[in-house]
Amino acid sequence: MMTMATKPGTSHPALFDGVVAKNVSICSEHFRLTIDCPPGVTDALNLARAGQFVHLAPPRGEAEGAAGGNMGTSSCPVPLLRRAFSIAGLRDSLSDGHFSGGGRQFDVMYRVVGTGTRWLSGLRAGDALSVMGALGNGFPISDTKRHAWLVAGGVGLPPMLWLAEALGDAVTIGDTTAAGKVDREVVAFAGARSVDLLALTVDDPSVVSRDAGVASLGAKEFADVGARVVIATDDGSLGFHGHVAGAMGEYYGQADVQTDDLVVYTCGPEVMMRAVAEFCVARSIECHVCMERAMACGTGTCQSCVVAVQDESATDGWRYELCCDDGPVFDAERLVWG
Amino acid sequence: MLVVMSDLKPEHQKQKQKQQEQDVDLSVDLAGMVMANPVMTGSGTSGYGPEYAPFLEIASLGAFVTKAVTPGERKGNPPPRTVETAGGMLNAIGLANGGLERFLSDKVPYLSELGIPVIVNVAGRDPDEYAMVCRALDEVPCITGVELNVSCPNVSDGLDYGTDHARLESLVAHVRRDVKRAKVIVKLSPNVTDITATARAAINGGAEILSLINTLAGMAINVNTFRPMLANRTGGLSGPAIKPVAVCMVHKVYSKVAREHGVPIIGMGGIQNWRDAAEFMLAGASAVAVGTALFVDPTIPNQICGGLRTYLAGKGMSRLCELTGMLAN
Repeated sequence: MMTMATKPGTSHPALFDGVVAKNVSICSEHFRLTIDCPPGVTDALNLARAGQFVHLAPPRGEAEGAAGGNMGTSSCPVPLLRRAFSIAGLRDSLSDGHFSGGGRQFDVMYRVVGTGTRWLSGLRAGDALSVMGALGNGFPISDTKRHAWLVAGGVGLPPMLWLAEALGDAVTIGDTTAAGKVDREVVAFAGARSVDLLALTVDDPSVVSRDAGVASLGAKEFADVGARVVIATDDGSLGFHGHVAGAMGEYYGQADVQTDDLVVYTCGPEVMMRAVAEFCVARSIECHVCMERAMACGTGTCQSCVVAVQDESATDGWRYELCCDDGPVFDAERLVWG
Repeated sequence: MLVVMSDLKPEHQKQKQKQQEQDVDLSVDLAGMVMANPVMTGSGTSGYGPEYAPFLEIASLGAFVTKAVTPGERKGNPPPRTVETAGGMLNAIGLANGGLERFLSDKVPYLSELGIPVIVNVAGRDPDEYAMVCRALDEVPCITGVELNVSCPNVSDGLDYGTDHARLESLVAHVRRDVKRAKVIVKLSPNVTDITATARAAINGGAEILSLINTLAGMAINVNTFRPMLANRTGGLSGPAIKPVAVCMVHKVYSKVAREHGVPIIGMGGIQNWRDAAEFMLAGASAVAVGTALFVDPTIPNQICGGLRTYLAGKGMSRLCELTGMLAN
């Protein structure tokens, strides 16, 4: 079964069954799941942008007209509701992919924390799963600012990987016909509690360069798309000793960057995103925050995933917007932190 | 390789079976509200219409039921508002909505184009608030019915009407006096000792249709943080976990109250497929609503209709409405 239609706004979601191409461990707790999609949804996927998400569930039991959400077995229960994951990358399926006639494949990354992610971790190549997406709104990409910083903590990394790729694809900014065109400098700040929880392929931890006074390492995922990487670990086991927001602050102090020539994107634990957002707002730096909320529907119906934003027309100055439909990317200046 | 027996049937037999399925009449008549099929949305699970349009042809539903509308805007509860539990989910949205005026200006234009019965779920703090909203809705031609939300467990004033028989009867009567055209539907709470008593009170007050059940009051606690999983502490349980409770309550209300008064029932609570829908109808429902399952797969209403056609044709039945209350002794 495949349903496609156009939704107003930036989302053009489809509902379809995809097939697992790969499900691999990338560090002690994180996995990367690659899903092949049928050619019929290629147009919908091609409209997707970094920051958008997919909503995943066990495949629908079509023959009986049954939804999923059965209890599974006691050893491996399956989730009732879909689970939302940021898209970490999108490309053409390999020629030996599941669907004949091409199609696209996308990645999500996850850490096993509960029923939904435990179900995902048990999927093998060839297994089907139901995909709804892409949902939500992606990161706006500035075509005038020469510096883009991506600040990611823990499982906030996936949308940043795709964003770095997108920024790399659009690396020439400004008027391309002008003689003085310049390249965009992309710096990724990646944080984890400890090096074994860092979901990146670090080339060689012994090869450390100093960028703006902060240790910079090569990580394949970002290096491949021309982005520099600053790593921070809470325990100091690799890179900057401390939170990734702190690493960004230190880098900023040393870097020669004009605030109006810099855009910051962030995703990760809320406390970390808040620190990044407040740092940027205080300096009038453009900042886009990819929020996370528990979601049921992912499409704006259930009203679960509210995010408080400023609203001058409201008597108390704020209102709720929906992370799924109005976000998940919000302008840092609009957010009201709890 | 698995060989499906139906594949071995001669072509003319398959065609005959298909024809029988197509000939099944899925239409139902709820106190004069005629629906092309029995499947509607559960209030609060499909917004105000356009949200699921990318996945489901809304006009293919038997009827569309909106999220609750209150006189003024309500922000609703702080997050987290939902959490999944075994076979179900808890929600404490708190009737978040933009209020009556914005509903009329922003939502009605879309609903008026649907061409199917539209039911608006209504909530208020007192009988005058309910009546004020219902009066306004009664004047909108595309709105076929108002569903009185007297059983929302997630607002401090939500359960009082649903659990107090005298207050419920007087509330329904108050609304009925003002509503001239639209059907008055009362959505019953399962959080009572005897749901047949509340059903009777609603009917005595003038309810033309009953819908049941709303969510069951529930709670989940994070044992690591010692905190409730929902910011509102408690919420309403929905999903397949509550289906047997809902079927039981529909059966009781139908057999002890609704049948004798000729008041049709919209059955809901954990419906995920045609079997679940058939179960509710056998227990006494004349129509069904899909709620939580829409979050997982918005196309389920269409799948249910297809499944019911095959099921009824297989039983040699040509009209779905004959299934209501057919529970064998």
